Amino acid sequence: MNEANARQKAKGKRQKLQVRNRCVSTVLLPFAFCLLPFALLLSGSRCLAQDARTIIEEVQKRNRTASQRYEGTLQVIDNKKITDKRWIYKRKGSFGESKSVLIFTAPAEVKGVALLIVNHPDRASDQWMWTPSLERERRIAFQDRSTRFFGTDFSFEDLEERDAGQSDFKLLGDDKLDGVDCWLIEARPKEAKQSQYTSVKLWVRKDHWMFMQAESYVKDTLARRMNYSDFAAVQGIWTARTLTILDARRGSRTIMRLEKLAYNEPMKDDDFTIQALRREGS
Amino acid sequence: MILLRLISWPYVRKHLLRTMLTTAGIVLGVGVLVGMRTANETVMGAFQHTVDKIAGATQLQISAGDTGFEEDVLERVQSVPGVRTASAVIEAVAATDLPGQGNLMILGVDMTGDRSLREYSFESGDEAVIDDPLVFLAQADSLMVTSEFAARNHLQTNSRVPLRTMEGPKQFTVRGIMKAGGMASAFGGNLAVMDVYAAQKVFGRGRRFDRIDLAVKDGYTVPQVRQAIQKAIGPGFTVEAPTDRGAQFESIVAAHRISINISSVFALLIGMFIIYNSFTIAVTQRRYEIGILRALGAGRGQIRTLFLMESFIEGVIGSAVGLALGMGLARGMMGQIGGLIESLYGLDQPGNGVLSADPWLLGASFAVGVLTSMFAALLPANEASRVNPVTALQKGKAQEISEKETRLRGWAAVIFGAVAAGCLVFGAYRFIFYFGFLLTILGALLLTPTIALGITRLLRPLLSRLRPVEGALAADSLIQAPRRTAATVAALMLSLTMVVGFGGVAGASYHSITKWMEIALNPDLVVATSDNLASRTYRFPASLGEAIRKLDGVRVVQDVSAPRIIFRGKPILLVAIDITSVQQNAPRRPVQGDETTMYREASAGRGIIAAENLAELQHLRLGEVVDLPTPAGVLHLPLVGIVEDYSDQQGTFLIDRTLYKRAWNDDTCSLFRVYTAKGVSPLEVRQKILDRFGGQSKLFVFTNQELRNYILKITDQWFGMSYAQIFVAIFVAILGIVNTLTVSITDRRRELGVLQAVGALRNQIRHTIWMEAVTVGLVGLLMGLGLGAIYLYYMLEVLRRDVAGLRLGYEFPVSIALALFPVILGAALLSALGPAEAAVRGSLVEALEYE
Amino acid sequence: MIELRGVSKQFEGKRKVTALENVDLLVPKGELVSIVGASGSGKSTLLNLIGGLDRPSSGQIFVDGQNLTGISDDDLTRVRRDKIGFIFQFFNLLPTLTCLENVALPLHLRGWTRAKAHERSRELLELVQLGARMEHQPDELSGGERQRVAIARALSIFPPIVLADEPTGNLDSHTGAEILRLIHDLRDRLGATVLVVTHDAKVAESCQRTLTLRDGRIIGDERRG
Repeated sequence: MNEANARQKAKGKRQKLQVRNRCVSTVLLPFAFCLLPFALLLSGSRCLAQDARTIIEEVQKRNRTASQRYEGTLQVIDNKKITDKRWIYKRKGSFGESKSVLIFTAPAEVKGVALLIVNHPDRASDQWMWTPSLERERRIAFQDRSTRFFGTDFSFEDLEERDAGQSDFKLLGDDKLDGVDCWLIEARPKEAKQSQYTSVKLWVRKDHWMFMQAESYVKDTLARRMNYSDFAAVQGIWTARTLTILDARRGSRTIMRLEKLAYNEPMKDDDFTIQALRREGS
Repeated sequence: MILLRLISWPYVRKHLLRTMLTTAGIVLGVGVLVGMRTANETVMGAFQHTVDKIAGATQLQISAGDTGFEEDVLERVQSVPGVRTASAVIEAVAATDLPGQGNLMILGVDMTGDRSLREYSFESGDEAVIDDPLVFLAQADSLMVTSEFAARNHLQTNSRVPLRTMEGPKQFTVRGIMKAGGMASAFGGNLAVMDVYAAQKVFGRGRRFDRIDLAVKDGYTVPQVRQAIQKAIGPGFTVEAPTDRGAQFESIVAAHRISINISSVFALLIGMFIIYNSFTIAVTQRRYEIGILRALGAGRGQIRTLFLMESFIEGVIGSAVGLALGMGLARGMMGQIGGLIESLYGLDQPGNGVLSADPWLLGASFAVGVLTSMFAALLPANEASRVNPVTALQKGKAQEISEKETRLRGWAAVIFGAVAAGCLVFGAYRFIFYFGFLLTILGALLLTPTIALGITRLLRPLLSRLRPVEGALAADSLIQAPRRTAATVAALMLSLTMVVGFGGVAGASYHSITKWMEIALNPDLVVATSDNLASRTYRFPASLGEAIRKLDGVRVVQDVSAPRIIFRGKPILLVAIDITSVQQNAPRRPVQGDETTMYREASAGRGIIAAENLAELQHLRLGEVVDLPTPAGVLHLPLVGIVEDYSDQQGTFLIDRTLYKRAWNDDTCSLFRVYTAKGVSPLEVRQKILDRFGGQSKLFVFTNQELRNYILKITDQWFGMSYAQIFVAIFVAILGIVNTLTVSITDRRRELGVLQAVGALRNQIRHTIWMEAVTVGLVGLLMGLGLGAIYLYYMLEVLRRDVAGLRLGYEFPVSIALALFPVILGAALLSALGPAEAAVRGSLVEALEYE
Repeated sequence: MIELRGVSKQFEGKRKVTALENVDLLVPKGELVSIVGASGSGKSTLLNLIGGLDRPSSGQIFVDGQNLTGISDDDLTRVRRDKIGFIFQFFNLLPTLTCLENVALPLHLRGWTRAKAHERSRELLELVQLGARMEHQPDELSGGERQRVAIARALSIFPPIVLADEPTGNLDSHTGAEILRLIHDLRDRLGATVLVVTHDAKVAESCQRTLTLRDGRIIGDERRG
């Protein structure tokens, strides 16, 4: 979640420096679904323990792929009323210039419900939900991004990918998490209005240049904590295959698992439109 | 105080029955006032309560009458700076097929964002509103109900609830249960939430929303944001606080309120006369006692205070009982008012039976009751204080009205009459008009003794011809006690005045409505979405009209949209219909304007036609340009004609349907008017429509006769309430007669004793009393009919100016007047039975003795 | 004409008051009887019982041969209407009626036509020398005149029995004497049986027979010449 915040912050203004072109997008992770890709390429490498922004940019760089696909499961712990969900996730592009589609496959009641997210390098994403039973889409308004994503501990905002340029970063120092050496970085969205979070603390593991944990704060209160685990290199890209998010205010947790990961498959822009959702759904 | 206990209490105890009858006047007056107002307020309060509860944290609501608006307005609103959350809403009332549950208020909202506006407390206590929000949204049949409703119908999660939808009856699934309290308490728990997009489909709304609810961001003020929104979306929309919606609803019941106020005033006036009467009698009867008190040194002030205290206590008791009675009445009437509002406006209020008694109203009514009682006792109390100790101890008559007083009354009445007439000339001002109205009634009351005496004198020979002894005695007894007689006659006159007034208005209304139905309501069939024609829950797609048009035996189908829109702050009816077709099939002669021009301009979409009542209420003039708010902006249309039309009490505009479709971008229909081909039975066509479309769409087909009956039924409901008031008024007046007679026989105990001593049989005594009662009834009746004739004029004016804008022809309700003769004379006779029996009972010896 | 057998009358109240106790009395036709006694001795009660205004607690009363015991209220009224004329201390005229109407009242009550009743009433008023006051209302008359109207009313039906309760009690002595003369005169003319309750010794002495009551019993029954 921290990452999410950070992304948000990063939004707009990435202009100056860095990254222009190709973006470097980046932001921190897309939380949730999307995110997964943090892959880090080469491992190790030297650590130029430069400043915070450089670190984040490096993380994004290592996670950059032309596309991503996986099958996910979502489990809300301690809430029997919310059944486990399965979906197929596809993303074309990376970070601020990516588009993604998430189609639920199980349980039967939600089969065919889809979410289309179009990220923007300089502002919050556009999100639509497709409901087959009504044969129509609905826009998830920006005002609603801080609400919970269908009873899970994610918020809609946590589904976005953002560029590093949308946030300011500050290196707080080194830290050790589960015996792994990390940099501890604080991200603040440049335009506070665009995010529900005030700041995000990110733990970046030094060995794989990957996020290990993100804590999102509203004011000074911890709102959500995301833990990345079950790391593996998929097609040479380091990916955390389990994400656990904790809603600190409600004390409830949701676990997301990524399976059948595949990177850089060819994908068509046409598949990331509302029309495509309509096709898929029907 | 000690006087009260020593002097008043024994008297009251001795005349307990009479005291009770007297107090009944106040009881009924206060009861009617409280009852009717409370019933009204409760229904209104329930509505406001519903609005408030449903509104939750909503600070502003955006609407465009009944028509709704397109979805993109939501994004425009959401992007206005200062808007924290804006959420689309569809509000509808749907019939459930659950036994005994009637209608369910359905709120369609977007659950993704709506939660920051509305508190949905869940049974589990978990914030997770719905068991599984994704499932709720994914399934179009998801419904969230209140725990109260669930308990009543033994529903649990995943239970099925049948609802009537545009596509016929459908099963919905409970996927969430709201805890009681908060929003769930609105509509007595008959409330359900569904997804707004599902609601669009279920209720035939197309891609439109009814309303947007929104909350303002911190740092912005509501007026600021309201202005910004109005600017962003244009003047065709109403942007208002949820509390303002109540104000609109209020104008709906305003008509009812005016008639309640008039009735209450009458009820209290009637009560006042009964009390006045009673005290006058008491003073007369107690002259001797007063004389003794005065002789023993009681001051005038003390005597006056004594009587005022008595009236105060009587007022307090009467008012207290009246409050209780009022609450009972309110309970009884609530259903009736609710029913009326439902059939008029399609709003259902399954009240939870909780009366919302306004403490101010209760307090004020109480005070009014007590003050009325004291005011009524003021004159008698003054008279008592003027009792001369010497003459009081001798025998004498005190009831007579001096010539001076008669003359004074006469002059005052003449002056009142003249001023009232003057008020009519300058009656354009509301205040002056009502002032004149009041003066007319007061003038009539001032003249009551004189006229009542005059009539009784005229009747005397007639009565003595009928029964030489009894008739003459009856008439004399009335003539002998002019105050007593006049007060009773006044009470009766007032109540009959009301009867004539309401009867006349009802008669004129029925007459006009029937005439209008003959001309304007001539389609053979009407296809509607509900058995309640006023319901605006469902809408038909225009394609259905096309399909009906293609049926064999159908000659013409007129598509009609009839949304309620807000015009100058009032919810009025907009009827959009093919004007050319109207001209061909149901041509109406305009009250104002040229027929040809009217139809030509209106059908071309270059003009608008107003119902006469709307023109009257809003002071619209022919040729004036009317500003009609539409979601696309304000439509400026010249008024090309004014026609008689009783579709809606608040007023109706007629425009061409093509224009409507363009300006509102809405082609849904409220109903279809169907004309069958020559020689084809409408019943046959109705069957065809039902067979062909009944399965796929929710529709009701009315024949012309059914339609008329429906309208007459609503009219009946409306007047039914007036009838209830009339009934009460007559009842009070009859009580007045009972009271007068009871007093009269007490007064004349000795006289009746003499009669019996010199040989009057008991039946002869009875007949005397009966004739007395019937004479009072007759006098009251004649005067009531006379004043009623004037009152009817005022009622029609009130109706035209302030209630419904209707210009109804003056027509004295002859049949009602004729029916009143047996009713009132019979009631008078009935009311005499008890007193007459009392008169023949009891000891003759005592009656003849002196106290 | 009038017969009482063992008549008693008690008034129920907080305390039982015995007004008459075991009274036996026989008054033949045409007799003029005065009844005297202290206040509360039972004389008015006796008169009321004979006049059928009240019923005895025990004993029997016969009027003109008819037993009043156990007959209905209406039958009692008929006895009054047809056989008894009342004269009261306070006249008890109906204030709203003229003298003529007051006198005609009992006749109307018997169902006489207006013309016939008025004819008889005029005669009677002439008889009591009030021919000039026929259309006046009672409050326009003096006490003596009012009592004469009352007497005319009592006689309007030519009753066999006339009961007078203190007929002069409310009049000055001169007028009282006049009224007394009138009563004698009428009795002689009509041959009625007359009972007069009185305080006035002169009145009592003018009668053929005087009954004296004390505590509800007849303690004296004196006949004169």
